[in-house]
Amino acid sequence: MIDLLPHIINGLTLGLLFALIALGFTLIVGVMEVINLAHGSLFALGAYFALTVIGGGWFAGTPFGAWWLSLPLGLRYVLALAIGPALAGLAGMLLELCLRPTYGKPPLYGLLLTFGAALVVEELIRLVWGTGEQNLALPQSINSAFLLNGMIFSSYRFFAAGFSIAAIAAVWLFLERTSTGAVIKAGAHDSEMVRALGYDLAKLRLLVFGFGAGLAGLAGVVMVPIWGLRPHVGVDIVIPAFLIIVIGGVGSFWGAVIAALLVGLAMGITGAYAAAWATMSMYLLLIAVLGFRSRGLLGRKSALEN
Amino acid sequence: MISLSDIPARPAAWITLPMVVLATVLLATPWLLPAIGLYQYLGIEIAIWIIFALGFNLLFGYTGLHSFGHGAYLGIGAYAFGLFQQNVAVSLWGGLLAAMLAAGVAGALVGAFLSHRRGIYYALLTIGFGQIFWFLAMKLHRVTGGEDGLLGIPRPPLTLGPWQVALTDNRALFYFAAALLMLVLVLGWRLANSPFGRVLQAIRQNEIRARFVGYEVWRFKWTVFTLSAMLAGLAGSLLAMAQQSAYPDVMSLHQSGLVVMMVLVGGGLVSFWGPVLGVIFYFVARDVLGGLTETWLLWYGLIFMAMVMLRPEGLAGMLQSLGRRSPRHPQNATPATEAA
Repeated sequence: MIDLLPHIINGLTLGLLFALIALGFTLIVGVMEVINLAHGSLFALGAYFALTVIGGGWFAGTPFGAWWLSLPLGLRYVLALAIGPALAGLAGMLLELCLRPTYGKPPLYGLLLTFGAALVVEELIRLVWGTGEQNLALPQSINSAFLLNGMIFSSYRFFAAGFSIAAIAAVWLFLERTSTGAVIKAGAHDSEMVRALGYDLAKLRLLVFGFGAGLAGLAGVVMVPIWGLRPHVGVDIVIPAFLIIVIGGVGSFWGAVIAALLVGLAMGITGAYAAAWATMSMYLLLIAVLGFRSRGLLGRKSALEN
Repeated sequence: MISLSDIPARPAAWITLPMVVLATVLLATPWLLPAIGLYQYLGIEIAIWIIFALGFNLLFGYTGLHSFGHGAYLGIGAYAFGLFQQNVAVSLWGGLLAAMLAAGVAGALVGAFLSHRRGIYYALLTIGFGQIFWFLAMKLHRVTGGEDGLLGIPRPPLTLGPWQVALTDNRALFYFAAALLMLVLVLGWRLANSPFGRVLQAIRQNEIRARFVGYEVWRFKWTVFTLSAMLAGLAGSLLAMAQQSAYPDVMSLHQSGLVVMMVLVGGGLVSFWGPVLGVIFYFVARDVLGGLTETWLLWYGLIFMAMVMLRPEGLAGMLQSLGRRSPRHPQNATPATEAA
């Protein structure tokens, strides 16, 4: 009998990280009805920008770079956690501008355009940061190991999981308790009505896309120490993210969170018995859920079905 | 909404002028390629991918079903061909049949699951299934060789009654692939213009209306998915022969996306000839741009993005609108000749 507890804990922490990635994705799907296949690339961009911020990047070798690297790692990490996602958000806004000609056309065009964008971003990353695998330096305070019940756990996993919970709560509060959040939700429900009430729909979309892309970048900075950083990471991550969206129901906030936890748990528990097949479990989960509920766990009817 | 507009209103001829032009170009290709500084193997690759893309466009352009996991059936065909040669018998026709059958069965199973779905959910499920097959190919080491691939696939000789031709030479294999390509092209053209093809286009234009008219839409969707998977399997068996090995790489999301990009850039949404133009454009771009810069995929991606934003009707669509402006109607295959 295998002791399942550590695998369940691993699965849940992984699920929380997946939820963080899926959050930005579901926000963009909900409001814009665009399946953003470049979401993983924005995730990767956030992480690479963070890498540059922590490592001094293009200033390495200059007096400014030397001064920068003399700053404590903790401070640089916190700055990276802010700047990486912000730059990813800007990239997301650029992508939204490219998406404008596809509005009002079948959703396929958005899918195709973001697929092309994913390819372009991946190639750009290869060009700027090189093709090799890289590591994000972490401050000692969050990157250690501890013993629990006779098992070794990495404290970074728990930091990342706690960070995800905080981010999920913050996004939920933003959507539920602020007036901007109300407009965003209204935009997801009936964008014509929102425009008729005098809100600038173009600006709203730009904002939502930037915000969703920023969340992707944030997830990138937090998750990459666990998953590793390589140019291909964007494509690797967009698949679980979109599986989670589909399982949870397109556009549903809590559906995405529940599905992410389910996927994480399924991967963790499968990993206990057959590590090589852990990734397979999420596809089987997808087929099992969609076999019974064609719109996912908490999904409602949307324009994407036409 | 753009529509496939080069389909004649009345039943079409079996052989059209662009086909004759393409066949002539294919016959001359082994001399043309070295003349412009390219190599024989490129011709084989182009022929294989055109077969794959033509089958894919029956689904994508004609029926409006967006599969983002079609590389899986190409890979299944390649593995089935290789496994047949290694475990059953070294036979060309047997291998081709086995590949089409394996890809067809996989397609039929997946299609049965997909065919009641529509729109984005359809596309997302095809990604999911494509990933499952890719993952299986990576993990079933004993069958597929995992990431190292299935190596040492022979090129069995072509046997037609008493005739036997060796396909070990790249030029011979190219002519064989080109002959299959012409066969697929003619049959595909007939199919697209048959009553069956018209129902497919009706489904693309309005699925609900097609159902109200009385067609069992899901059965058509299932049939066309299975058929296009079989053609992908055929292309896959040729790929296994060309590479003399099979790799899980062709089944990845990246490769499945490539065929979507090729078909769209070529104009698969508006023309039967879109896949042909798109594949030729992609491979010529790869070799020309790839010779100039390491990051040619970046440029191809940017071209693709610009196409989706500005001209989703692709190369074939541009040619059609050119043709409309001038009094004479140039045939769609003419630019293909130039590009080849």
